[in-house]
Amino acid sequence: MTQTYETMVLLDNDVVRQDWKKAKAIVTDTVAKYGGGLDCCRRWDERRLAYPMKRKNRATFYLAYHDMPGDKIPGFLRDLELNESVLRYLMVRVDETPEEERKLAAEEDGAEYTVPEPPDDDLIEIPEEDETDSATDVDIPAEIPAEASATAPDPVKEG
Amino acid sequence: MKRRVKTMIGSKNCDDPVIDYKSTEYLEKFLTPQGQILSRRRTGFCTQCQKQLKSAIKRARHVGLLPFVG
Repeated sequence: MTQTYETMVLLDNDVVRQDWKKAKAIVTDTVAKYGGGLDCCRRWDERRLAYPMKRKNRATFYLAYHDMPGDKIPGFLRDLELNESVLRYLMVRVDETPEEERKLAAEEDGAEYTVPEPPDDDLIEIPEEDETDSATDVDIPAEIPAEASATAPDPVKEG
Repeated sequence: MKRRVKTMIGSKNCDDPVIDYKSTEYLEKFLTPQGQILSRRRTGFCTQCQKQLKSAIKRARHVGLLPFVG
């Protein structure tokens, strides 16, 4: 007996900007690969994260309802874990797919639906270090090799 | 000295909508400004609903919908 699961996947906005179908396929293909039957899936939202993940401030939330054999789940989760386009995922067990989700997913599958462009402020800006303060610029006198200093003749005072 | 009366946020009968980790606006009502989960005394939930609330908030934190702190 297979159980219905709700999987929320946080997708990298860079992948979403490049190609939405490719971003969707990350989830749908992985579910299909592990013998899961996709009931419905849709772009839940695109929003700012409460805390940064993988140096990203924003992410696209993709929600999928599917079933899957229990023995395939560890492999499925591992694939999501290894995928660099997936910032985070959450898989929970549900009794059945909500009817409202089916309607919203059907609307999204329609030809009129276009994915809104994610905002540009999803990257975390890291301030550049001031080069003048770095220790590498300090003039350090060249050390005299131990051998050279030992063999060097003593300075002769003239006059 | 008068004891300070704290108001309950949830209802005693737990007739609220289904507690889900995706409804962040609803869950935020049961967090302190520091991000801690309110006690059952403050939320007014029964044992089962408080457990659902706890797991929903923790799930929302995991996917970055709610903060762990602040």
